[in-house]
Amino acid sequence: MKKLVSAPALFIGAGAFLIVGLLLGFWWAPVDSSSMGFSQKIFYYHAPIAETSLVAFGIAFVAAILYLRTQDLKWDRLGYVSVRLGLLFAVLVMLTGMIWGKASWGTWWAWEPRLTTFLLVCFLYAAYWVLRSVVDEEQRRATYAAVFAIIAFVDVPITFFATRFLPEGLHPAVITSGGTGMEGSMFASFMISMVGMTLLLVALIRRDLEIEDLKDRVTDLKTSLGG
Amino acid sequence: MTVAEGAKYVAAAYAVILAALLIYYFMSARRVAVLQRDVELLEDEAKRRQAPAGEAE
Amino acid sequence: MNGGSWAQFKAILRKDLIRELRTRDMLVSMILFVLLAMVIFHYAFTVRSDTDLTYFTGGMLWVTFIFAMLLGLNRSFAQEKDEHCLDGLLLCPVDRVTIFFAKTAGNLVFLLIIQAVAVPVFALFFIERGFLGDLLPFLAVLLLADLGICALGTLLATISMNTRSRDLLLPILFLPLIVPVLIAATGATTLVFAEGAGFGSLVARLLFLLGFDAVFLVAAWGTYDFAIGE
Repeated sequence: MKKLVSAPALFIGAGAFLIVGLLLGFWWAPVDSSSMGFSQKIFYYHAPIAETSLVAFGIAFVAAILYLRTQDLKWDRLGYVSVRLGLLFAVLVMLTGMIWGKASWGTWWAWEPRLTTFLLVCFLYAAYWVLRSVVDEEQRRATYAAVFAIIAFVDVPITFFATRFLPEGLHPAVITSGGTGMEGSMFASFMISMVGMTLLLVALIRRDLEIEDLKDRVTDLKTSLGG
Repeated sequence: MTVAEGAKYVAAAYAVILAALLIYYFMSARRVAVLQRDVELLEDEAKRRQAPAGEAE
Repeated sequence: MNGGSWAQFKAILRKDLIRELRTRDMLVSMILFVLLAMVIFHYAFTVRSDTDLTYFTGGMLWVTFIFAMLLGLNRSFAQEKDEHCLDGLLLCPVDRVTIFFAKTAGNLVFLLIIQAVAVPVFALFFIERGFLGDLLPFLAVLLLADLGICALGTLLATISMNTRSRDLLLPILFLPLIVPVLIAATGATTLVFAEGAGFGSLVARLLFLLGFDAVFLVAAWGTYDFAIGE
């Protein structure tokens, strides 16, 4: 089917960046000098995934505003596709963050700013889905979802700042980029993986949108045949 | 923590990422296959229904 | 804001306040709920005879207020929906945003009334030292946090009331969003009650709450038209 032939190019591009970033991160960048040591290498994908999930929610935010202005359901569609992917990435952030935490601190969980923020982000956007599931009428569902997507996204940076007020627990070190600063090679590997992850997000969004279009086509055909 | 131990955690993290992405991709690939087949079947059916009408004229 | 909007704001606010003060259902229930919550907290958290809950006061207070607010919002919006008050209101040429501000103000008044009763009783039950000297910083925290709670609560209740699961949905939408307020407010409250902190150490949190309120009031102002719908 012609439409989906274009998508592989994006996936291949994304994959290329991701693989290069990974290889550079492991073989070129030095092993971290802090107590984390080798486990710091998780960072090369963990941080890009975190940024990408926030990008996805940002896309949903813009799509929500556009929907409210135009009432065109295609923006609603972009919105929920982005939120779904953003949620997937956010869960991955949590899982990799927990693994990294186990390696660094010895426990699977810590109430530290980044993990807590992403936990809340997961709850926030899970609420988005619950909201969608309890409204039956299409335009109203899109409207409510858009309002919530806007509010939720605005709440994300606020939540991050709020977690700074929490008292330092047993795990003082926030997962930073491996210390006071990143070496050039670490930074380069990280940036390449970032580009790759963002391309991957775009490719997945595009693919999901095309699947939705396919679903529409099936429904249209069924209606014209059966109706 | 030795490099060997650290490597196990790193491998676990990347494995989780890879698994999640692959599962997502393949689930959507299955969806695509099913939908494409549906589209083909429905389009064939539509053509079939038009043909007899055309012949009757 | 022109004269017409202000008059409308006052009218809607008056209507809500008079209606509730006449029957007092919601107020009495919420006050009872809050007092009961304190008793429950005592039984839930006192494990030893010497348990000192002073450092938990902030948390207990704000958790209670937030859950009381959820109850109150559900109640008042459900009532409005069942009696079709909102439909009548929408038929008038009222600016939708004015409705939002009026409702938020109304909810704020109720919350303040409840807090006026709850806080002294709370201090009586849980706080080991006198605290009258620290009242001013605490009131500042109270007001700013209340504003955020009421603004967000009003906006979200308007949405959730029009869905299938009505009151069940509101906590799910509201709680993740209100966490920043919870963090700042409980931290500040505990500092005031447990350590007698003054304005100085609370500045960061107060500014944060102020920022939160500003951001969400603007967001609600922009989106309330859509939330209140058709």
